[in-house]
Amino acid sequence: MSQPPVQHSTATEPTPPRTAKPVKQTERPHPLTPFIRGWIVLLAILIGAARELVPDGSSEDNISVSDLSWILPLAAFAVVLAGIAGFISWRFTRFVIDDEELRVETGAVFKSSKKVPFERLQSVDIIQPLAARLFGLAELRLEAGAGDSTIKLRYLRQTKAASLREYLLTRAHGEQARVADHGDVRASVFTDLTAADRPLVQVRPDRLIVSFLLSTEWLVSSVLALVLLATTVYFDLAALALTALIPLVISAVSMISRRLIAMFNFTLAESPRGLRVTRGLTNLTSQSVPIDRIQGVKISQPLPWRPFGWYRVDVDIVGYAHSDSENNESTATSVLLPVADVDQVELAVGRVLPGFDLDGIGLNRVPSRARWIRWFDFWTLRYGWNDRAITTEEGWLSHERNIVPHAKTQSVRIEQGPLQRRLRLADVHIDTPKGPVRAVAHQLDVRVARELALTQLDRARAARRADRERIPVSQARVRTDEETELLATFGTSRDQLLGSGGESEVFAIDEQRVLRLYRRPYDPSDQTGEQIRRLLDSWEDTNIGLDVPKIVQVGEHAGRCYTVDRRFSGRCLSPWLAQAQTGDRRQALSSYLDATLRLRDLPSPIPGFARLIGPQAPQQFSSLGELLNNMLDGPVRISRAQLERDLPNVAHTWSRLHADLADRVVSPALVHGDVCPANTYIDSRSGRWVVSGIGDFSPHTVSGDPTMDIAGAVIFLELEPYPDPAADAVWLEALAVQQGGNDVRHWIEVYRRFYGFYFSDSFRFDPVLYAWCLRQLRR
Amino acid sequence: MDELFAPPAYDWQRLSPAYRSLRRLTSVLTAPILLSIPAVIVGVLTGNWWISTLLWAIAAAIVITRWFVVDRNWRSWGYVERDDDLYITHGVLFRSLVAVPYGRMQLVEVGSGPLERAFGLATVSLKTASPETNATIPGLRPEEAARLRDRLTELGESQASGL
Repeated sequence: MSQPPVQHSTATEPTPPRTAKPVKQTERPHPLTPFIRGWIVLLAILIGAARELVPDGSSEDNISVSDLSWILPLAAFAVVLAGIAGFISWRFTRFVIDDEELRVETGAVFKSSKKVPFERLQSVDIIQPLAARLFGLAELRLEAGAGDSTIKLRYLRQTKAASLREYLLTRAHGEQARVADHGDVRASVFTDLTAADRPLVQVRPDRLIVSFLLSTEWLVSSVLALVLLATTVYFDLAALALTALIPLVISAVSMISRRLIAMFNFTLAESPRGLRVTRGLTNLTSQSVPIDRIQGVKISQPLPWRPFGWYRVDVDIVGYAHSDSENNESTATSVLLPVADVDQVELAVGRVLPGFDLDGIGLNRVPSRARWIRWFDFWTLRYGWNDRAITTEEGWLSHERNIVPHAKTQSVRIEQGPLQRRLRLADVHIDTPKGPVRAVAHQLDVRVARELALTQLDRARAARRADRERIPVSQARVRTDEETELLATFGTSRDQLLGSGGESEVFAIDEQRVLRLYRRPYDPSDQTGEQIRRLLDSWEDTNIGLDVPKIVQVGEHAGRCYTVDRRFSGRCLSPWLAQAQTGDRRQALSSYLDATLRLRDLPSPIPGFARLIGPQAPQQFSSLGELLNNMLDGPVRISRAQLERDLPNVAHTWSRLHADLADRVVSPALVHGDVCPANTYIDSRSGRWVVSGIGDFSPHTVSGDPTMDIAGAVIFLELEPYPDPAADAVWLEALAVQQGGNDVRHWIEVYRRFYGFYFSDSFRFDPVLYAWCLRQLRR
Repeated sequence: MDELFAPPAYDWQRLSPAYRSLRRLTSVLTAPILLSIPAVIVGVLTGNWWISTLLWAIAAAIVITRWFVVDRNWRSWGYVERDDDLYITHGVLFRSLVAVPYGRMQLVEVGSGPLERAFGLATVSLKTASPETNATIPGLRPEEAARLRDRLTELGESQASGL
């Protein structure tokens, strides 16, 4: 895309003024589009014809060659017509996706122009029918708000579609980004996963096929077919049976296409923007799962799957209510996992409902008099809740477990029929939006039913209130005129955004300097900025062969805190890792470890163990144990209740960590505390990738055990959003052990648990980091 | 009304007696009219007037039963506005109690058909994101319906929360 004329000051406004409408270069989809659409019609005709040609037992069994002579031109005509229609629709479809707007114009006669605010985008999916896939093209499908129609852009180059998706999803999350930042994203031809996606669960083909053959649906229809065949053959009526078999075969084919072909290569991945599902053998579909719009989860298990311990997971997503068409090849799906074992289910549910413990809910049974009504499955009925969600279980032939977060409860109903009235039983329904989840607590004792319903309303209210309080946090990031003004003072603008993190955003001022704008409001009593500046100043004359940051200026403008920092040479390691080859990556990581080891040579301004930055800093401690305890005190106080819920034996882990730390004998040295690829800069020097600098000294920086940084460099690598960083982390750990001795392995393990506790307060804002913490503490 | 369906610490608001009259009128009209058509046809065409009499007897029986059933059904209806949610109960044989939090209401509708208007009645229905939320209150006086709609909308706005 050629760079559109960007208006500097109005770039963040939702609607640029009408009068000065800039002339924009609109784009058309790929020129091959009409051919592919014609091809798809041809394919449909071929399939239809094949179905006709199948002998169906009726009298005119064979279509003769003379029939074909007029069918063929007709088919050719239809294909040409579809091609022409495709050409016209292609000719008149134009779209603009740039830094300012998303607009699609369609229609030859009735022209329509649709402009969608980025914030309204609910999901961005990529769909590749086989024909398009052969040419490396893809359809981009945008869903904007419930009730709005879907926008389909077909077809675009696959790399282009992928990069537009990344850009749109970034904007949909209310963050600033530029089209140019999302260059061509390379995605795998088979899975459509980009380098930044990390697969969580991959369904193996053999398991998918076996689970399909064992599904109730398939078993019932094949047994039916067999019985039919056997009886008719026995009575010598096989010719008649053929007529009845045709619909069975057709339903079997559609079942195979829905359950096998559409679900083939099913991958649930974690992308920087939430979860993503990619699937399909011929038609490739890639769909994002908006976690905050999930209304409920259903975990089901048909009886034949029980010996294998397999489950299927579905979710209710608002606006994705096409679930009655049972997830066709190309539509959005409510399937989170078509088949998975317990660990994978736990992993997926942990992502969808962060901090929710599947087994932590105590389940209650129903009174045994329920057998008079539910004689077929009364022993399977269960219900229970914890402070996050309510769950109900039922079914024997197919066991279902429905989970609804309290905050998503739409309404609560008590229902009672005449027989139930006699038995003093009642059902409680937890209503959720349209979808596969149906949470009903069946056949409760009337008193229990009433209490469950009324308390559920209280729980739902409390959960909604908690949700509402979280909303202002995200709204607090609304950009203001003051901000634009501040950026202008330093001769920069939103276009110069280099990167953004949880704490701050960084803008380029010139080649030497950057402006760092903190998200938190300015607090005059907060000395953090000044403390960091003094610490960095004290290293002015120290050279450890590595750039460390330097703060030129600290200031406050319109209630926001900012600093002007020296700009690092080279580029940030984290995005570089995601696109580097394994060989380059390993070589860079080895340099990363060297750089980490050099950090301890930075002089600490305070002798002994100490916290260097923070409200009470500088604060000295007599031992390493005391320092670390002080560091853990704040976060664990916040996360304690949550940890106790998620980890039953957290007390044991805690005491083991302290026992281990008591044994540590080490002389104090400077510890960065947050060495990770996002804070590291890399440069190419004579053909080798070398770490040139480490930034972001923060309140995590202390005077403590230098091994903490080695551990950090290894374990934080696991959080990188490229495929399988864990393998690199294992490799890096082995390298650290090789250089530092076997002892290092033990201490990395200990500091894993330390950082697991230290960052555990992330359960409030970062589910991915919190899940990582839980993994460290479970080891 | 047993304790399962009792409102928590409040008394049920009942429906207007005009609603009972409306339901009685419709049931008095429908069964005789529907059964009279075949009764007359059979009587005129075949002369078997005893079949027609039987049909009319059935119609009379239905009217009498409906007279009392409508009364029971009318008495089963109730709603109550609490601080955070609206409760609605109804049903004689199959009974239900639905509680809709104000924060979850997406739409409040007031409707009134020609017959309802003749009796001075209106129906209020609440919609949430769930199609299963079956929250409809029939047989309200128009001023009560309008008051309910305004109050529910106001409460819904002040307590609204995202999906």
